[in-house]
Amino acid sequence: MTRLIRLLSTRIAPPLVALLCALPVWAQEYEPVTEASQPKTDPSPFVIGAYGFIWVAVLVYVVVVARGLGRANREIEELRRRVDAASRSA
Amino acid sequence: MAVMARGPSDTRFIVAAAVTAVGFLAVPFIIVRAPIESVMGPIQKIFYFHVPTAWMLMVSTLVAGGASLRYLFRGTPGSDRVALASAELGILFGICALVSGPLWGKVAWGKYWTWDARQTSTLLLWMLLLAYMLARTYGGPAARKLAAALALFSAANVPLVYYSVRVWRTLHPDSSVVPTLDPRMRPALYLSTLFFLTLWGVLLAYRLRLERVRAALAELEIAVEDAEEAV
Repeated sequence: MTRLIRLLSTRIAPPLVALLCALPVWAQEYEPVTEASQPKTDPSPFVIGAYGFIWVAVLVYVVVVARGLGRANREIEELRRRVDAASRSA
Repeated sequence: MAVMARGPSDTRFIVAAAVTAVGFLAVPFIIVRAPIESVMGPIQKIFYFHVPTAWMLMVSTLVAGGASLRYLFRGTPGSDRVALASAELGILFGICALVSGPLWGKVAWGKYWTWDARQTSTLLLWMLLLAYMLARTYGGPAARKLAAALALFSAANVPLVYYSVRVWRTLHPDSSVVPTLDPRMRPALYLSTLFFLTLWGVLLAYRLRLERVRAALAELEIAVEDAEEAV
């Protein structure tokens, strides 16, 4: 037990305390964006890409819902035919 | 079937869809005509559709949460259907906001993703809605109340997303940027928001129609099985 306490106090605790002390420093570090570091990227593909993505996503959603509606309506028609067949056989 | 018949609700839906189509054509022109921001340049134009899509994510989540609360207390199937449709729209508009934001960030900050508080909290909100959809899709009828609780939890997360830029130090612009916007830029933002709100309403009505048809189909299936057993 004494050996364990000695090991903790001499080998493990000091680097752990040093690490914990360093943590707030890491948390405060950030990369400042200055005018010089700002990339001179052509924004047009980004603007068009963002707008295009929104419209493709909405169109895909509308198509998925429309297909679901079509499938459900077909199933309803199929059930109606079964009801008609059952009523005729009765 | 009542849900398949044409009526006043169909007329309203067609008018709203037509307005949305006009908006689809008009809004890009309005955005292009808006003045170019002096610091960020043309990339700032993403703002006009990134902000409305993010707002629609919040609106969808709040509507899903409200409808889920009603479903939990009253057990009305209609509220459950509204919650489902709204959560689905939240996922749709959420992915639009989560894609358009980083595209702006790449040019403005030099990075697509910075794990900024607004970005991270929005991603978490979106993932909560995804969890709701997974519970609804694979959990069966027994998981509906669990999913409703998830929707409530998501709605409680909306203020956290909204105020994240004030609580934590972030790169993301503050929510107060909208009232301080140049008056010449406001029409583009307000019209774009109005258009996205109309689109949201049209999509919600369309998705609810599918849920009503599915509910009618489920009832019909039970009736047919009963009738066939009787024969």
